[in-house]
Amino acid sequence: MKAFPLFDRTATFGGVYAMLMVNRLQLLFFVLVLPAYLVHSYMVWGIIALGILSQVNLWMLSKWFSTEYASQGYEGFVKLFGERTVRFAAMAGIALILVKISVITLGYVEIVHQFIFPWMNRNSLVLYTLLISGYMASKGMEKTMRFVVIAFLGGFWVIAFYFRFFLPPDAHLHDLYPLVPTEWARSSWQGMLLVWASLSGPEYLIVLGSWLAPQKKLLKYLTIANAMSVFEYLLLFIASILFFGSNYLNQSSYPVVNMVRYLQSPILDRIDIIMISVQLFYYAWAIGLFLLFFYGAIRILFKKRDKPATRAGFAASFTIILVCTIIVNQTFWKAAPNQNIWPSVQVILGALTYSLVPAILFAAIKRKGHDAE
Amino acid sequence: MNRFKAAALSIILCGVMLISGCGPLVENNRIEEIAPVIFWSIEEAGDGRLKVSTLIPPLIKENKQMLTHKVDLQREAHKAFNLSYYREVKTGQLRMLFISEGLARKGVSTLINTVMADPNISQRLYLVIFKGNFEEYIRNELDSQPNVDYFLYRMFKHYEEKNQGELTVVNLHQFVKRLYSPVSDPVMPVFRVDKDRFKYEGTGVFRRDKLVGVLRGMEDQIFQLVDNLHYLKNFPIPELSVGLGHIHANPHITLDKKNSSLAIRVELKGRIEEYRGDKNLEDASEIADMDNKIQAYLKEQTVKLLQKLQRWGADPFKLGDRSLTAFSKPTDKEEWSRKWSGMMIDVAYQLNLRPLATTPNIKPLPGE
Repeated sequence: MKAFPLFDRTATFGGVYAMLMVNRLQLLFFVLVLPAYLVHSYMVWGIIALGILSQVNLWMLSKWFSTEYASQGYEGFVKLFGERTVRFAAMAGIALILVKISVITLGYVEIVHQFIFPWMNRNSLVLYTLLISGYMASKGMEKTMRFVVIAFLGGFWVIAFYFRFFLPPDAHLHDLYPLVPTEWARSSWQGMLLVWASLSGPEYLIVLGSWLAPQKKLLKYLTIANAMSVFEYLLLFIASILFFGSNYLNQSSYPVVNMVRYLQSPILDRIDIIMISVQLFYYAWAIGLFLLFFYGAIRILFKKRDKPATRAGFAASFTIILVCTIIVNQTFWKAAPNQNIWPSVQVILGALTYSLVPAILFAAIKRKGHDAE
Repeated sequence: MNRFKAAALSIILCGVMLISGCGPLVENNRIEEIAPVIFWSIEEAGDGRLKVSTLIPPLIKENKQMLTHKVDLQREAHKAFNLSYYREVKTGQLRMLFISEGLARKGVSTLINTVMADPNISQRLYLVIFKGNFEEYIRNELDSQPNVDYFLYRMFKHYEEKNQGELTVVNLHQFVKRLYSPVSDPVMPVFRVDKDRFKYEGTGVFRRDKLVGVLRGMEDQIFQLVDNLHYLKNFPIPELSVGLGHIHANPHITLDKKNSSLAIRVELKGRIEEYRGDKNLEDASEIADMDNKIQAYLKEQTVKLLQKLQRWGADPFKLGDRSLTAFSKPTDKEEWSRKWSGMMIDVAYQLNLRPLATTPNIKPLPGE
């Protein structure tokens, strides 16, 4: 039997790959529901403010990527924090990745279920989505990382659909008023938290250190990626306010998909089906990537890092994820959005990791730097 | 490795086949076995029941069939159609929803919510109110023009795309967006139907989800000019024996800060295309006189129309949108509707009309 070179490193990836990965990781699932929770047009300032804050985080990450520790991958972490802490972090990571995978898989499956196959069993849709991702992940880390180019090319042009909503006669400036917050309710804070959680995701790139680092110019690419994400969020949010108006917007469960549903084309009646289908490219990519992270974390936790990756181990982690996702689907995932707690768990966890991880790494390299002096 | 690859590939292939519809889990959409209908018509059947009708399209050489059922729920009708016809009725091509006037006066929100909930039904569904017996009209038309349902759809589509002020066309999304807005009210076109006629009557004005009245004739034309389209291809004013054409309107609507008075200034640009009165249109002073008359007439009609809407407590002109500003809290529904019914109204028209090219003034010859 041939070896199973899941995590072999034969090349380093340029900044463009980091850019595409950061951008796509920031645009998973929540982008499709976000407008329905932000509702008020003055939240554009919230998106912009958090975009700038996210830039600070990416700056700290780029500092991390420019150090030697980052390029050593696992050994770098061990040198910084000690093996015990790293194994503990891997254990936390396993839980985080499980939640993340289950939310993006079930979120995507729910959209497919609602708009394309309302009569199908959701569990089978979960199975197919995960199988596609699992197949890609089995090709190894490098191929999965390269696939981000296809994921990007497959999905980024969808925003072109939304420029139409800025044109009269459907768009009125009145729909955007008021532009400043006249009252600040608890839901506004929750909206801000959701935006922050939506922008999270780049912190997972730290485990790709040995493929991406050391790079001095990474900040430039990360900035472009972040700016693209913030631009896309703003575009979709403003377009959906113009299309629905603030009062109707929170009644629509998937405003971004419903807007594409409204478009007409002389050839196809249902453009939304095309749009949802091409999104599978980057959902499959992201889930595949997280599958590999999950398997990697399990190997660290059980001290199997020195041994080669095995098919059995990979299949086992795939099965764990499949079973967990289906259990979540059966028990925690509710059809009514306001009763559905599971995505809120991911919102809180995503916001926490994105706030803490870059800061901790930045503090650690600063401290080491001082110790060295 | 090869075996693994083959296994993975075949699983994915199976998945793709199942997802794309070649599997046991999917709905049956085989064209020979379904009946994609393009309209529902809903009216009252007494005791809170509904009478739902639709026209089944022919697949082979057969006649179109009109199906009608008296039911309690809209979804029940869908089921009843399937139980009484050998092909399954599908809503994926549903393009028009006809609602009877009586039902519209009682409120349409439950009907609208049901069509909104069906993922197969497009947001571009046209909403129409009818007065009279729609079922009889369709049954009668079927003999002479079996494609009547399709032609009705083409009519709405035609006027939606390039509307020249002939009629109001409203789709589901536009209706619901204005239904949710706290400061404006939705509209729907109203048609009068009888045995052999399907005639546009005017714009139905809603107060929240209830029909409160219909704007007819001149009122509807003013509505098209000032709010809906700002354009009328054909604008006859029979009271002044004059026909205007290709009128572009440029309305300036201003509300004062307290929302207590409203000023509407409308600039009209276009031309006089017909005149059957006794003025000499070569004479500048007589033209000016006629301009004044048209201005005064339009002003009077517009004020009357707005006062009527104030009495109804409805705001189809979306005037409430003007009360929103960038830096203040939006007014809520109750407050706006109270302010709107007590608002002072000031209307002015400015005309810029190209006069009719007149034939040489034909004076009666002496002795004629």
